Amino acid sequence: MIKVFLAILLTGILTDNFILSKFLGICPFLGVSKKLNTAAGMSAAVIFVMVLSTAVTYPINTLLVKNDMEYLQTIVFILVIAALVQLVEIILKKYMVSLYNALGIYLPLITTNCAVLGVVLLNIEEGYTFWESIVSSLGAGLGFMVAMVMFAGVRERLEGADIPKSLQGLPITLVSASLVSMSFLGFTGLVENIFN
Amino acid sequence: MKKFDLKEVLVPTISLFLICAIVTLLLAVTNSVTKPQIEKLQIETANKTKAQVLSVADSFSDEKTAQLNGATYTYFEGYDKENNVVGYVFTTSAKGYGGDIVTMVGVNNDGTVSGMDFLSISETAGLGMNADADEFKNQFVGKSGEIGVNKNAPSENEIQALTGATITSKAVTEAVNIALELYEEVA
Amino acid sequence: MAEKKSLGKEFTKGLVLENPVLRLVLGTCPTLATSTSVESAIGMGLAATVVLVCSNIVISALRKVIPSKVRIPAYVVIIAGFVSIVQMLVKAFLPQIDEMLGVYLPLIVVNCIILGRAEAFASKNTVLYSAVDGVGMGVGFTAALLLMGGIRELLGAGSIAGFTVLPEAIPPMTIFVLAPGGFFVFGILIALANKAAERNGKPKAELKGCSACPMASSCKLVGTNDACKEEAK
Repeated sequence: MIKVFLAILLTGILTDNFILSKFLGICPFLGVSKKLNTAAGMSAAVIFVMVLSTAVTYPINTLLVKNDMEYLQTIVFILVIAALVQLVEIILKKYMVSLYNALGIYLPLITTNCAVLGVVLLNIEEGYTFWESIVSSLGAGLGFMVAMVMFAGVRERLEGADIPKSLQGLPITLVSASLVSMSFLGFTGLVENIFN
Repeated sequence: MKKFDLKEVLVPTISLFLICAIVTLLLAVTNSVTKPQIEKLQIETANKTKAQVLSVADSFSDEKTAQLNGATYTYFEGYDKENNVVGYVFTTSAKGYGGDIVTMVGVNNDGTVSGMDFLSISETAGLGMNADADEFKNQFVGKSGEIGVNKNAPSENEIQALTGATITSKAVTEAVNIALELYEEVA
Repeated sequence: MAEKKSLGKEFTKGLVLENPVLRLVLGTCPTLATSTSVESAIGMGLAATVVLVCSNIVISALRKVIPSKVRIPAYVVIIAGFVSIVQMLVKAFLPQIDEMLGVYLPLIVVNCIILGRAEAFASKNTVLYSAVDGVGMGVGFTAALLLMGGIRELLGAGSIAGFTVLPEAIPPMTIFVLAPGGFFVFGILIALANKAAERNGKPKAELKGCSACPMASSCKLVGTNDACKEEAK
């Protein structure tokens, strides 16, 4: 049991990293990774929303499948996630001000983030149980954080570098992302070989 | 203080509700049109694939189920013209690099693989997807027992792994091995 | 006559000047993920174009009916509806494409290009213009995907649209069809687009951060979003 959870978790963080190998959540990856603290704050909010959305959409999906209405998955999930994020924002603002100050500002940005809807849909595709889905979302979120925080460090290094004019800004960011992603290819097969 | 305006609350709510209702209705209609087509397509693919992987069979039994290591698998018996069992076709799956790889594996009466093909595979294009080429799939034909994977020089009961796609090669081999184990169970 | 001219302009702007991928830097996730081959690039491009045109038409037709308070959720519902319809049709009639695009097909729903065009264009313009805008943007998206898919398939698998073109003597560089190749080719293409834009005196492509995100309007309404303010500077 623990072995299965650990395998799912490590797969999400290292081998199937959402940003670096699945290309989900690229917008915040490129947009908010300039500074370490914003990168960390954004990632924390993403982990929170991913796990929460999975916990809420899992029973809803069971209900949809039972009633033979799987074709409503996309539309129901996106609405549920959007409503959930709004709700969380209101609750945090009112009752947990310190947490709101840390995470709240990133919440509207991730409502329509493809990483959140992506993790929900992928969990269903994989046929995970409830707890496996939660662990998988946690892994995906942690993977997002690892990539964001690492990349924030890389970008800080880029600030002072002498870069050809047309490569400045976005292009060099993408090329560096390519190199970071290449280093993650090294984890391929890691989980299979540890756990099998 | 601003007066509570009922209209201000009701109009957006109702219009949003109406949009949702109409969209759901449209989806239900589309679903009723496409669902039979999707099911038909799946059955057609399965029929075509099983005839292909066990070409000696003229007809097949209805879907049967078998247990192995706590999991349930489906299989078909293949018959010749006199209704003798000439082999089996197993539907098995294993986790590849890009999700589950679902295979259909034909096994002859003597326990050797008669052929295999994919029902669903979504590996990396240009790497794992090369598993869908005949050169790779035909490697399994005639093999029995437990098949291994080798990157360089495969021995008699091993297959040559795809370049740069060891995980896919291993997954496909695992799916075939499950089928061979199932054969031992049902035959 | 005058109208015809500007209609043409609405169409071509999506192709070059305001190319959603290379100039506006929208829809990066599907661009990187589905440009591993020409075939999947075309599949994703066409699917997104169909959704974009349909949702642009409907949203533009309903622009006076939808109350502005609930406009974003209404747009999302309409877009999600079209995405689901396209998804079902693809599953039923083009199963190979469905297998190739996988989870990225339903994820068209959160493609910023579509919600972005709904909010920036279709909600303010007539049906005809919105349809043309949708076609232009869709074709621009498809063209950029196709360019990336072509480069990555040629270098990474030695083929174009499944037909081997590179001779055996040149082994393909597989890294190009993997994730790093996607980032790399995209970066180089944007650099080239920047170079061309610079020559014509146009500004560089820059990730708009918050304004690229479809929820930007709601962040601005809230006005408390530091990340937005930071990006706006």
